[in-house]
Amino acid sequence: MPITLKGVMQAPVTPLKDDFSFDGEGFARMVDFHVRHGAPAIAWPHHKAESLNLTIAERKLGAEIAVKTVAGRVPVSIFAGTLSEEDSLDIARHAQKIGADMILAISPYCRRPSPDEIYDSVVRIGTHTDLPILTYNSPWRNGEGVEFTGELTQRLIERLPNYIGMKDASFHSAKYLEISRVALKLRPGFAIIMGVEHLLASYPLGACGSFSSSGAIAPNLCNKFYASLVAHDWETARECQFKISRLWRLFKEQYPSSLKGAMIMMGRPVGPTRSPLPTATKERIEFLRAQLEELGILQTEPHGW
Amino acid sequence: MATFKPGLVHTPVTPFKRDQSIDFDTYAKIIEFHLRHGADALALPMPEGEDLSLTDGEQRQLLEFAIGRVKGRVPVIAHVSDAGTSIAVERALHAEKAGAAAIVSHPPYFWHPKPAMVVEHLVRIGSAVRLPFFIVNPPVETVGTTLTTEIVLQVTERLPNLAGVVDASLDFVFMEEVISNGRRLRPDFQLVAGADFIVPTGALGGSGVFSPLSGIAPKLVRALYEFCSKEQYVEAREMQEQIGALHHAVKSAGESGLKDGLAGIKAVLGAMGRECGVPRPPVRPLGEVERGKLMEALSAMAFLRAEPRGW
Repeated sequence: MPITLKGVMQAPVTPLKDDFSFDGEGFARMVDFHVRHGAPAIAWPHHKAESLNLTIAERKLGAEIAVKTVAGRVPVSIFAGTLSEEDSLDIARHAQKIGADMILAISPYCRRPSPDEIYDSVVRIGTHTDLPILTYNSPWRNGEGVEFTGELTQRLIERLPNYIGMKDASFHSAKYLEISRVALKLRPGFAIIMGVEHLLASYPLGACGSFSSSGAIAPNLCNKFYASLVAHDWETARECQFKISRLWRLFKEQYPSSLKGAMIMMGRPVGPTRSPLPTATKERIEFLRAQLEELGILQTEPHGW
Repeated sequence: MATFKPGLVHTPVTPFKRDQSIDFDTYAKIIEFHLRHGADALALPMPEGEDLSLTDGEQRQLLEFAIGRVKGRVPVIAHVSDAGTSIAVERALHAEKAGAAAIVSHPPYFWHPKPAMVVEHLVRIGSAVRLPFFIVNPPVETVGTTLTTEIVLQVTERLPNLAGVVDASLDFVFMEEVISNGRRLRPDFQLVAGADFIVPTGALGGSGVFSPLSGIAPKLVRALYEFCSKEQYVEAREMQEQIGALHHAVKSAGESGLKDGLAGIKAVLGAMGRECGVPRPPVRPLGEVERGKLMEALSAMAFLRAEPRGW
């Protein structure tokens, strides 16, 4: 059965114990929290989940916990982005074996790959698994990112029958539209998922949803935002978008440290953040508490698990 | 001061003769074309009008000429950007005296100044005049300095005539932050689309557009603008995709490392029967192969057949 992806999909953080080891029980609680609060899909481990600071073994273990905890209630996407392409293939194989619904791939980082190199990489991963595959467009300027053009997306759609969507982090009218107009014409239903909830600018142009940045703090706001888009209620959508935009500003500072700090303050102990990323200080958490109160988040969003 | 809302703003190209002088006879035809095909206002000389390649004297002359031809039928917005602050200030004063309806300025060209200096530059231009003043956020690759939300807010606090931002960065994050924070300082703060991507800007609460493609496809741009004015963003998707395809074809043509599209726009205008010559050096016109590729891309765009040919 084809997977339907839409809405603000949740990408859980990775709970750690005080000694920085992976907290499997905490992770199961985290995943379950998202599903119970309306997540239309679960995607792990994104950058927010400290993906590159987890070992491949930890990533496989987490993937198993995610699939088992979700238990078919919503689709599960496993992120296969790594520094080495061999590890990405390994994770893709494992994801298929444990019954995940799809993988999210990116050509290995820190190389500024050419379009042909990205093409080869995605084809290699995409033909290595029978799972549906999403790709991740992250055109960062320093060379650590991987940029997809419309033309490259078209070549990949023509080559890979299991290529079902794009996580887009260009956040740019022309770049977004280059991909969306080409992809949606060639493969209707192709899922264009915004990397953060910058959805108001892209939803009218065919984006189906987002992988959430702030859903761990404000799942109600995320769901209200998406419902307002579906209803074409642009006034409410603006109110939600601007609030989420302020949240993103708070959290993108040393992402995901501040996010984890705020989650702890809201009664969901997810532990510290692995080095070289810092762990949120007490002062930072107090600052976040004041900000979240002013935004009305503390008053309207769930506390505890 | 009553709020000046620019609406659908056409941004004419600047035509040159073979000897590189400005072709004012053709410019007169360009102005009439825009006025007949749905311009609520004109802005000139914008980057697609090759402002960088015009001398200070030519920019003044062009503005006076346009205002003389338009004769009050629509507002004429003067684009005043330069590397040096005092040069820009003097040109803004000239524009006000010549009868411009508003001033629009980029951050200073070339220098990569620190934010405080960008604020100072823009405040000096804006405070020299009493006209509504807009700031352009240029595409990130160009002209040196990116405009941040913080810079815009600081300028807004210091300039009572700051009307808003014309966004050519196309950056969702900037647009979200600048309109939501700008409106907290000033409820009538405007976000104007700085290229023909009207759906994203409109959905975020912006209004108006500076339209570089209006010289090529004025009917489509007008129709897209009307849909967005009625908040029919989802219904406008197909038109926005058509505009996106045209934008991509025009911008990708030519040798510019910035994909400035200057050679592409003039080649397409010529093919539509509105010969405007070629860009001034150092921008190179399209070679035969490039031109062929662009024309082939255009011939696949059925929507262009509904657009006006000739003047």
